[in-house]
Order: sequence, then structure tokens, then C-alpha cells
Amino acid sequence: MHKLIALLSWAALSVGLNAQITLGTTVGTFGVLAGSTVTSTGNTLVSGNLGVSPGTAITGITGIAPGGPGIVSGTIHSADAFAATAQSELTAAYNAVAAVPSTATWTTDLGGHTFYVGGVYTAPSTSLGLTGTVTLDCTTNPNGQIIFQIGSTLTTASNSSVNLVNCLPANVFWLVGTSATIGTTSSFYGNILAQDAITLTTGASLHGRALARTAAVTLDTNAITIPATLGGTGGGPPVPGGPGLPAGAAPSSLILVAIALVCAGIYGTRKRLPKLMGRN
Amino acid sequence: MFEQWSNDEDMSHGFLVPIVILWVVWRERQRWRALEAEPNWWGFALLAAAAGMQFASVIGVGLFAGSVAFLVSVAGAVLCLGGVAWLRALAFPLALGVFMLPKLAVVYNQATLPLQLLASRIAAGILTAAGIGVIREGNILDVGGHRIAVVEACDGIRYLLSLGFMAVVFAYLSDSKPWMRWALLAAAVPIAILANAVRVAAAGWLPPLEAGVPHAVCGCLIFVLCLAALMLLRRLFNKVYVRYQS
Repeated sequence: MHKLIALLSWAALSVGLNAQITLGTTVGTFGVLAGSTVTSTGNTLVSGNLGVSPGTAITGITGIAPGGPGIVSGTIHSADAFAATAQSELTAAYNAVAAVPSTATWTTDLGGHTFYVGGVYTAPSTSLGLTGTVTLDCTTNPNGQIIFQIGSTLTTASNSSVNLVNCLPANVFWLVGTSATIGTTSSFYGNILAQDAITLTTGASLHGRALARTAAVTLDTNAITIPATLGGTGGGPPVPGGPGLPAGAAPSSLILVAIALVCAGIYGTRKRLPKLMGRN
Repeated sequence: MFEQWSNDEDMSHGFLVPIVILWVVWRERQRWRALEAEPNWWGFALLAAAAGMQFASVIGVGLFAGSVAFLVSVAGAVLCLGGVAWLRALAFPLALGVFMLPKLAVVYNQATLPLQLLASRIAAGILTAAGIGVIREGNILDVGGHRIAVVEACDGIRYLLSLGFMAVVFAYLSDSKPWMRWALLAAAVPIAILANAVRVAAAGWLPPLEAGVPHAVCGCLIFVLCLAALMLLRRLFNKVYVRYQS
């Protein structure tokens, strides 16, 4: 009997751990999708598509009346069939994420804590906040997912950030029961799937997607970059019109300064070099 | 700070900064040894301020305040033991300690996106000027179907911090005029931004330069060219200065 219980528990745990959420191929192309309106202030930059459905209003974005200064690298969809498909895929994804069995309950501020790959963290009927930095660690399975199921609101404080350790932003899901607010100059990662509204306040950046089912997405001088792969498989197909491969960073500053110091040393001893090399 | 230098490649030069500081102190040894030590009680005020900052850092203000507290406490100790003359004599190596400090999150978060967009714009301009077709969409460059994203890591902060530090050290080594340190430090900002854009443009133009050893070698070579540009600027500043004086 104990063996049977253990086996069933392991099977249930495995199902929970291996559940992989996949965004639809249409909604996956959106950096921003709203249900009622998209409102942008300032020099917002959205990579991928931006859309609204069933609402129609999009303001503050170049390419659609009344115009910019916000910029969208993909296509703008206002209440068209493509946006409607994206919304229905969003509903499917939202329900799929909500149905994933919880592995832990979390009700306090996320700041200063580390959450691990395979975890499904649930805040059943409470709001969840982030002050400071939350770390998401996927070291044991870089293709795995981390899911947060938040019954009410998600609110991040100013300058808060999500620190990913070997995680793909596409594999991080924030299911928000009502509305999400990303604080001023925060750096946030993952797909935000909100039942109502999403607000990115001044200067916040989002490496993921802001997907609101019924209400508005409000932007203010933000950078929204959709991940290069779709969520779910961790190695999914490239997003059409997506951001492309990131250009590599410069060599570490340790290497740069070490090279520069060697150059400075050679420059400083240039008159003595022939002597040092045995020449008169 | 040690942890920050180990984990953040923008800040890993922090390991070399104390070595350079100690070398400068050793190089200036005759100057400060000649001074008579006149302990100053105001040093305790600095030490108390540093303790307050450290306490604030521990209770949640953050790593930056704790790191500044370390520098302030060193300055306080010098003032306590050697007095104002010693503090003045060691002001430059102590000021170099600023380059050890972790990035201030408020400034870094505000600067990253504009720097990304600036690097994208300049890189697109360089490619266009070179006759290479490029379409820029925000921070994304499309060079003949080859798309690269100028992400946060490409914002140029790494060049900026490294070159800023080296500009000050180079000015100290090659020129006795204190204003030259400020002039070269100011000049390092546009040079680093331009150099980063050149690096991004190169990666957009030649995909093999996007990653691996060629990418690292390209990054280092461009940085050496930045140093050469600083040397040329120093000569230029000196010429202008001499002409202005005469």
C-alpha cells in the first residue's frame, strides 16, 4: 500500500514538474496584447507585434493614429482577426497555466528570495509584491519553466528586478488574477498573463510579453523585448519578426583593463625596451 | 564588492583597481613620506559617517552605500593618522577607488535603454555610411536578413567603465596637469560609445564576429584603438593648451 501511494505521489509530482506551457504561435509574436486599449507615453520600444482585441484604441505608438513617439518593431493589430486569434490563444494559455498543479504556496514579498526551475508557486487569493531582486534559478534544467500563479495583483516596487540564472525568459510565466504593475525603472523578465490590466510605469523594462485578457496595457517609456523562442519547449521555433540573436557583449572589463595596463606598461618603458631586450 | 566583481563582467576590472591604487601609492611614496604626520580629529567624523553608511547598507539601502562606506572609511583613516596633507597627497589614488564601486542601480537602469538605442542608431549609421544596407527597428538591426538585437549587455557600459578608468590612469602616467585627467575622462565617454557602436556594426556586418574567439578578439582590438584615440587626444589637448598659453 505504501509503495502504491509513493508511486502515485511520484507520478503526480512528475506530471506537475513536467507540465510545459506553450503559448500559441500567434500570441507568441506579440510583445504587447491588450483586451481594451494600449496607451503609451514617451519613447516606448516594443519588439514584436502590438495589438488590442476586442477593444480598438491604441495611443502613443508610431504607425497608428494619433501617432508616436512609441515604436513597435513588428506589426500593429487593432481589433483584427490576427489579434482576435492571439486573444483566444491567450485565453487557452491562461487556463493552461492556471491548471498546472501548485508545488508551493507563497504569500510574502518575492524580493531577496530564490525560486527554482520546475516550481509552480501559488499566491491563492492574495496580492504579491516584489521589492528588490528575485532570483529564478534554472541551473538544474535550463529548458524548464517557472510559474507564478497569483490570485490577485502583482506589484513591483521601483528599481526592482528579476535575476535569471540559466533561465530563458520565455519559460517564465506570471499568471495574474487581476492586474500587474511593474514599478518605475524595474527590470522584469517573463510572460505576464493578466486577467485584467498591465501597467509598466516609467522606464520599466520587460524581457517577455505583456498580455492582458480583458483590460488595458499602459506603457510609459518602456523597452519590451520578446524572448527569441516561444515558451513551452525551451527551444521552440524562432518568433517570426522577432528580435533576432543578441549581439555578443564586449570582453569582460577585467580582460580589457588588463590589456590596457599591459599597453600602458609597454608605453611607459618604450625607451628602455631595446636595453631590456639586450640591444644597445 | 568582491562578489560583484566576480559575478558582473562589467565590473570585473574591480580586481585590478586596488592593484593600480597600491602601485600609485608606492610610486608617490617619496612625496607622502616627506610630509609630516599631523593626525586630524575630523578623520573620526569621516569614520563615523562611513559606519552610518555601512549600517544603512546592511539594513537595506544596498551594496553601493556599503562600498562607498569602505572608501570613506579609508579616507577617514588617512585623515586620522596623517592629517589633511596626507589626505591631499593620497587624494588621487583614493579617487581611483570610485572605479571599484558597483554600478548604481538607479543610474544604470536609466542609462541602459538610451545607450542601447544610441548604439543601435550609431551602428546603423556606420553601416549605412559604409554602403551596407541596414534596417533599424528600435534596438534591432537587420543587415540583409541577418538580424541582431542590441541587448542590455551591448549597451557599452563595459567599455565606458573600463575606458574611463584607463583614461584617468593614462592621464596620470603621461601628463602632470590635473585637468588632463578630467579632460580625458570626459573624452572617454563619446569614444567608448562610438567604439561600442563600431563593435555592434562589425557583428552585424560579419556574422562570424558575433560570438566566440573572433568576437572577443574584435572587442579587444577595438578597445586598444580606443586607447590610441586617447593618446592622440592628449596630444591634441596639449597643443591647444600650448597655443592658448602663448
